[in-house]
Amino acid sequence: MIAAPGQTVALVVFGASALGFGVAVFRTKSMVRSALALLGSMSAVGGLFLALETEFLGVLQLMMMATEMTIMAIFMVMFMMDPGGLGQMDMTHQKRAAVTAGVVGGLIAVALSALPSWAAVVVAAPAPSVQLHDLGIELMSRSMLIFETAGLAILVAMIVATTIALAEKQP
Amino acid sequence: MSGPLLLLTMISGVYLLAVLEEWSATGRLSLSTPVVRGLAQLSRESLVPRKPDRLLFELAPALLLLAALLAAAVLPLAPGLMAVDLATGALFVNAALAYVMVALVMAGWAPDAAYALIGGWRFLGQLIAYSMLIVMPLTAVAMRAQSLSTTDIAASQAVLWNVLTQPLGFVLFWLAAMALAFVPPFDLPVALGELAGGVFAEYTGVRLAILRLARLVLVLTLALAIVVFFLGGWLGALLPGWAWTGVKTLAVAALMLAAGRYVPRLSPDALLEWAWKLGIPLALVNIVWVGITLLAVSK
Repeated sequence: MIAAPGQTVALVVFGASALGFGVAVFRTKSMVRSALALLGSMSAVGGLFLALETEFLGVLQLMMMATEMTIMAIFMVMFMMDPGGLGQMDMTHQKRAAVTAGVVGGLIAVALSALPSWAAVVVAAPAPSVQLHDLGIELMSRSMLIFETAGLAILVAMIVATTIALAEKQP
Repeated sequence: MSGPLLLLTMISGVYLLAVLEEWSATGRLSLSTPVVRGLAQLSRESLVPRKPDRLLFELAPALLLLAALLAAAVLPLAPGLMAVDLATGALFVNAALAYVMVALVMAGWAPDAAYALIGGWRFLGQLIAYSMLIVMPLTAVAMRAQSLSTTDIAASQAVLWNVLTQPLGFVLFWLAAMALAFVPPFDLPVALGELAGGVFAEYTGVRLAILRLARLVLVLTLALAIVVFFLGGWLGALLPGWAWTGVKTLAVAALMLAAGRYVPRLSPDALLEWAWKLGIPLALVNIVWVGITLLAVSK
């Protein structure tokens, strides 16, 4: 597939901002800034999907991440001792292990992108409405069991979490 | 269609809405008020709190405006009269509006002030109440149109508007839209008289002007969404399509603003309780109802 020039520019811009925001997540001591930087990174990935002509995935990514990252932010604020990062508290630990894990993980990701022989790239992406239709058929046929299982698991987790959060009945 | 024309339509819509807002708050109907108020606002000093998160403080008003404008971009005023026609339009409206909450949480966190902080996090709780009631009625609307495209959804109501085929979804979506636009009685994040302005409390001058403008754009966008999804969009007799959209949108927006004059503000816990214990079950009933009617009609 030969990309249009605008598409290539969009890919580079969104890719670079995804990485840039990703770095920003670890460069700040403020929990809220960190969570919002992660949101920026995830939204840039949504932009990447849009640039790659997968409209539904892009819009879904933009929608889901806004809520998820902000809810994550409030939990980080609740649980951390210095959520604003104003106390200059050092919150890192096991630096050597973390660096090693990061480098190894990064190398594996690069290897996975290069090593397998990917199937031929499609010449032209199907129209967005066709993609939507195909995705619906996929969700209601082959992938139904996977999604239903995941949905049931999440429902059970929600019920259990609510039960645990309820006030204790015994004295 | 040309961008400048759409922009002009948006600006005049917001202006008329500003007149209506003044009327809903004070009972005075005056065409010049928004100009006077706007100029007065812009000439005021733009204060910055003592220890703000400066980046988020400056970003929040712009993000709120951007989110509302992006959502409006995919809603048609007439066939073909829209900024972008997406196959996933209805989902995109929702995606863009999710950033309203992000902007308010940012605006609440950034000034390092108690009232703003409570207002911002409150709106996150409010999102938990309203977001399902935005998505689930939209699902039923998309079911009838068999499409997520906003143009297709409006066109699918040629025979009968969605407000008549799925009244339950209409009421739920309307209330959720009011909660999303944080207009009274759902104005929990700003809550004048209780949080002294909440997320807006620490903003002054130009920044406050942008926040207020963004809120008006948001109300207008949501009124337009209600019109496109439930009130037949541009469909109507005699008048041209865009005129019908304009009339309906302003009427919906006026009703949204007027409601706040007569209803007291809900408390956050009451809002969540009503939304989850009553709203979501009713939204499910609506989806089942629409499914049954669609099957019955297609047979």
